[in-house]
Amino acid sequence: MTSRSWAVWRKEIRDALRDGRTIIAVFVVPLVLYPGLMLLMGSIESSNKKEEGALRVRVGVVGEAQLPGLPKALQSVQGITAVTLDRTPSSMESAGVDAVLVIPPGLARSITSGDSVKVELLYKDADHKSSAADERMQPVLDDVRRELTVLWAQTRGARTDAPPAIAVEHRDISSKEEEGRFMAALIIPYILCFMVAAGSMQIAIDATAGEKERSTLETLLATSASRGEIVMGKCMAVITTALLAGIVGIFGLWFNFTVLANLMPGMASQSIQISIRPEQMLLMLVAILPTAVLLSAIMVAIGCFARSMREGQTYATYVYMASVFLGLGSFRQLGAPPLQRFAIPILNTALLQREILTDTVVPMHAMVTLGVSAAMAAVMLVIATRLFSNESVLFRT
Amino acid sequence: MIEVINLGKTFHDRKKGDIPAVKGISFTCSPGQVFGLLGRNGAGKTTTLRMLATILAPTSGTARIDGFDVNEKPGEVRKRIGYLSGDTKLYDRLTGRELLEYFGALAGLSPSAIEGRIAELQGGFGLVDFLDKRVGKMSTGMKQRLSLARVVLHDPPVLIFDEPTSGLDVIGAREVLKIVQDLKTKGRTIIFSTHIMTEAERICDEIAIIERGSILAEGTVPSLQSKNGGGSLEDVFVQTVGAVTSDV
Repeated sequence: MTSRSWAVWRKEIRDALRDGRTIIAVFVVPLVLYPGLMLLMGSIESSNKKEEGALRVRVGVVGEAQLPGLPKALQSVQGITAVTLDRTPSSMESAGVDAVLVIPPGLARSITSGDSVKVELLYKDADHKSSAADERMQPVLDDVRRELTVLWAQTRGARTDAPPAIAVEHRDISSKEEEGRFMAALIIPYILCFMVAAGSMQIAIDATAGEKERSTLETLLATSASRGEIVMGKCMAVITTALLAGIVGIFGLWFNFTVLANLMPGMASQSIQISIRPEQMLLMLVAILPTAVLLSAIMVAIGCFARSMREGQTYATYVYMASVFLGLGSFRQLGAPPLQRFAIPILNTALLQREILTDTVVPMHAMVTLGVSAAMAAVMLVIATRLFSNESVLFRT
Repeated sequence: MIEVINLGKTFHDRKKGDIPAVKGISFTCSPGQVFGLLGRNGAGKTTTLRMLATILAPTSGTARIDGFDVNEKPGEVRKRIGYLSGDTKLYDRLTGRELLEYFGALAGLSPSAIEGRIAELQGGFGLVDFLDKRVGKMSTGMKQRLSLARVVLHDPPVLIFDEPTSGLDVIGAREVLKIVQDLKTKGRTIIFSTHIMTEAERICDEIAIIERGSILAEGTVPSLQSKNGGGSLEDVFVQTVGAVTSDV
């Protein structure tokens, strides 16, 4: 970086910080909008769960008399209204039920003779209420299974009227810290990737295609600064805002989930302890740096190529969307990803960030990620400089 | 000193093929002289001046600015020129002072040297009242005065003006021309393109009439007038350019 590149960097940062669009992209969106939306989504989800708890479903029962314990089992589950039916209805809507439990005729005879039997619960997965009825009927089905087992055991000479109570429960024993670590590893790599892309987009296009559109480019090209120095200064300014957007984004998540959620009444259930150790933060910054350079150089190259800001923003949006989808790739990653996945730019950084946050960094993964990202960033910087030096690209109409 | 030697530029268009914009022109301009490039829109003035400013690379011939070749030493050339185009805009979100500091830094001046130059120029260019105002809030005249201050900030020996009065009112245009004349008296080498005859008559020591990328006539205003049987510079221009147009 020469003194002229630093001069370009200072000017671009100053210019960007006075541009409302950059302020929105770098500060408002990562700090307020995205965390706020996530908090809102959490609140809606929590409210949905409450509504689901209060929901009453109607379940039609065919052949109820064959299982004497069934009415009691149905009564024991909250929110179920049992409706006795003579036969399986042609449609659940016409029968006015959300699900139908079908006990086949001759059940006792089949059990006594040792034949297999099939009890069916008919429901529609595509219907929210019907799907809720299926979920709610699971304990009833367990009771049916148990009653049939007892019936079968009695035919084999067992002396018992009721089986022992066996409870199999699901209980989440993770602490707020563990939940926070899991959420951080899940969300932060993805958030970082797309925030870096969003943070680089506005300033990159403004500093390149914007210069063309505002007719300030000629003046700049006629100065003593070389094309390389100018591109370097612009890229550095873009990288600065990209990283800033990423850091602000992480802070925004931490603030919303850890501080704000605890302060807001009714949101306490949404609060999680997102804690990132200083050394993790440092490693994350190191890991994101080559990707920030790569994305910034791509955006600057697009801006150099574009005739106008509108054209530049259109192309840049595709890159932004690609980085969002690549970042999403880390969401569903179970276990250690294969090495070749670390050769895919942006996805590799999201995966490495996840390893950093879960203290499971594999050195080879880190080396491949940083190596591939740095190499691609260098190539893109060369391309951006060449485009900026190419008069047929710079002055194309 | 500006020496233009068989300078040419051909643009390539995928559909139209090769488009010659400047066809091997030659002229010289000495220190303390204003050389006028007179031509219609699209005659090749801007392309010529962009080549002199090393914004565009020539496809044939060359030019030497203060002894440095535009093809071989573009960086050295840029250190020695101040370039201003009438179409050129400034950065709206910067103040006048910040803008001058930026271009001073790009010219390689130290912060103290920039500060000194701004102090020197603000009186002469009438910048005092609006130097700390954002460019976006300045009038067209203010912006043009600021642009002129930017051009001479690093005290270049060669100045390239491409229709610098474009879009200015009479008062604004007069101010610009006065500054150009002052720079001439200080010994700067100045090349000035325009399509306004009165401007050319008023400030140019020598004029080249350019049409379709070629120089059709060159000389002082009186010499061009005498060659064309008297009349105003406008008459000379119309006769010279008209002859080419009727030939086509």
